[in-house]
Amino acid sequence: MEAPAAAASPSVTFYDFLDRMRNPASLDLVRSIKSFIVSFSFYTANPENDGKRVQEFFLTMEAAIREHSLWAGATDEEIDSALEGLEKYVMTKLFSRTFASVPEDSKIDREISEKIGLLQTFLKPEHLDIPAVLRNEASWLLAEKELQKINSFKAPREKLLCIMSCCRVINNLLLNASMSENHVLAGLDDFLPVLIYVTIKANPPQLHSNLKFIQLYRRQAKLVSEAAYYFTNLVSAKTFVVDLSAKSLSMDEMKFEESMQAARLTNKATQIEASPTLQGQTIPIPPTAMHDKNKDISADMQMPSIAIGGSNYPYMDTQAGELTVGDVERLLGLYKDVVTKYRNLCTAVRQNHISVSKTEQPVPHSEGTSFLPKQPEGINTKIDIQRED
Amino acid sequence: MGCSSSLPDRTSGRLAGPNIENGGAPDPKNLRVKLVLLGDSGVGKSCIVLRFVRGQFDPTSKVTVGASFLSQTIALQDSTTVKFEIWDTAGQERYAALAPLYYRGAAVAVVVYDITSPDSFTKAQYWVKELQKHGSPDIVMALVGNKADLQEKREVPVQDGIDYAEKNGMFFIETSAKTADNINQLFEEIAKRLPRPPSS
Repeated sequence: MEAPAAAASPSVTFYDFLDRMRNPASLDLVRSIKSFIVSFSFYTANPENDGKRVQEFFLTMEAAIREHSLWAGATDEEIDSALEGLEKYVMTKLFSRTFASVPEDSKIDREISEKIGLLQTFLKPEHLDIPAVLRNEASWLLAEKELQKINSFKAPREKLLCIMSCCRVINNLLLNASMSENHVLAGLDDFLPVLIYVTIKANPPQLHSNLKFIQLYRRQAKLVSEAAYYFTNLVSAKTFVVDLSAKSLSMDEMKFEESMQAARLTNKATQIEASPTLQGQTIPIPPTAMHDKNKDISADMQMPSIAIGGSNYPYMDTQAGELTVGDVERLLGLYKDVVTKYRNLCTAVRQNHISVSKTEQPVPHSEGTSFLPKQPEGINTKIDIQRED
Repeated sequence: MGCSSSLPDRTSGRLAGPNIENGGAPDPKNLRVKLVLLGDSGVGKSCIVLRFVRGQFDPTSKVTVGASFLSQTIALQDSTTVKFEIWDTAGQERYAALAPLYYRGAAVAVVVYDITSPDSFTKAQYWVKELQKHGSPDIVMALVGNKADLQEKREVPVQDGIDYAEKNGMFFIETSAKTADNINQLFEEIAKRLPRPPSS
């Protein structure tokens, strides 16, 4: 199965919602929706407040739809699917304004992703005491894939479905283990360690922002019961990862620190080696580049490490007197790294310029900067395309 | 340790489909209640729930056996129904700090210990204190001594459980998930103690 199990029918109901909105009789509803969406451009982002406003709007619209002539005599299911359509429409329109909308969120996303990147290098199922009967690579991979799909969707409901699908795979694994291996089911004591392990293996994109987005913008009447439970479990897995120290694992404290340190060094080394060819796998994707892309972001949006800012260049705030002879080797490495990147960038920009003016020829003899698209994302994509050949 | 030996039902094992809620207004005749289970791992939290959910045969309920989220509806004599949405928590020490994520907003907390393990009784008291500090103020709490079938291995006297529960305004019961003793009574008793929304 490619899509989450329930993805087909809702798209039908979404078109049904759009159809009804095209009906002249729903003009009043369309006006309210449009003016609500426009009203968001008057304020700067404030997630908690924005969430409250959206939820209030959903409730107001629910009342309006229930009273509306187009839905006269509609069943609760029909009203519900209209509201799902509304949520999807509004949140898709407001996505770039509401998802990871404050810099703190992007920073947390980056930190989590980096930490997971380090943990991935050494964490084993036994460190979380996952019993052998539950170690099933094929099932885990399936669960990871479900989680990694989370950025393919903009609607909170669909993002939540990715989490539910992931949890469903894990539950099936537990159930199978209980039947074929005679494993005694131990509820969350079995489930949570597997979910944590799967989350670490998946390193789902923008984990924190996705959870926050669902929490704030999924219709409140829907984030209850089983959905709320599995959602809470992923929040729990995230919290566990954020607070994770040697004490959280069945692992020697010294060994843990050594492994983390080794992972940090390896990451640095691979970043330095890999950046000229843009293969730094552990480099987090800068959030600005992600807002409007929803397909295969992780594949084609791996950015050169220049985008990350100071963290890769630890000597930026250092005074000359603080340096030691031991720093020379690293400094030289970083210097070469910077020069290589600069050269690559120049080449890319030059090639890009040539190819753009060759193929499109917008205005004859346009000067250097005119091909540059307005959004910086555009540049990055182009560079990546150049690099593919 | 472990639950009874009966095998889970083949037809289960999937999450329930989208459930349509009716506007979210509390219906005094049909309560929906979040219940959180706390206690050391190995005290039989999930066994109690499995026993409760499996024991009452209801062909309409789609039960996910083995899952950590289960729900079960019971009918009371005054013709009201209570749907328990049961949230399991992880008992291992390393997950203790995550518990508030689970008991937030719970109407009921069932704190379970094992009558053969004084450590688990100490841990239960820790959870009670934690709930008193951070749980909802009107939370209904039950203290449950499980594995009551293991009388010969008992290390926590019944009276200790009774006394502790009384001091903390909790309902106390000893159960055996293995023999199903007192399992239904536990949930029925909780249902009776729930604050009712005023009937309109």
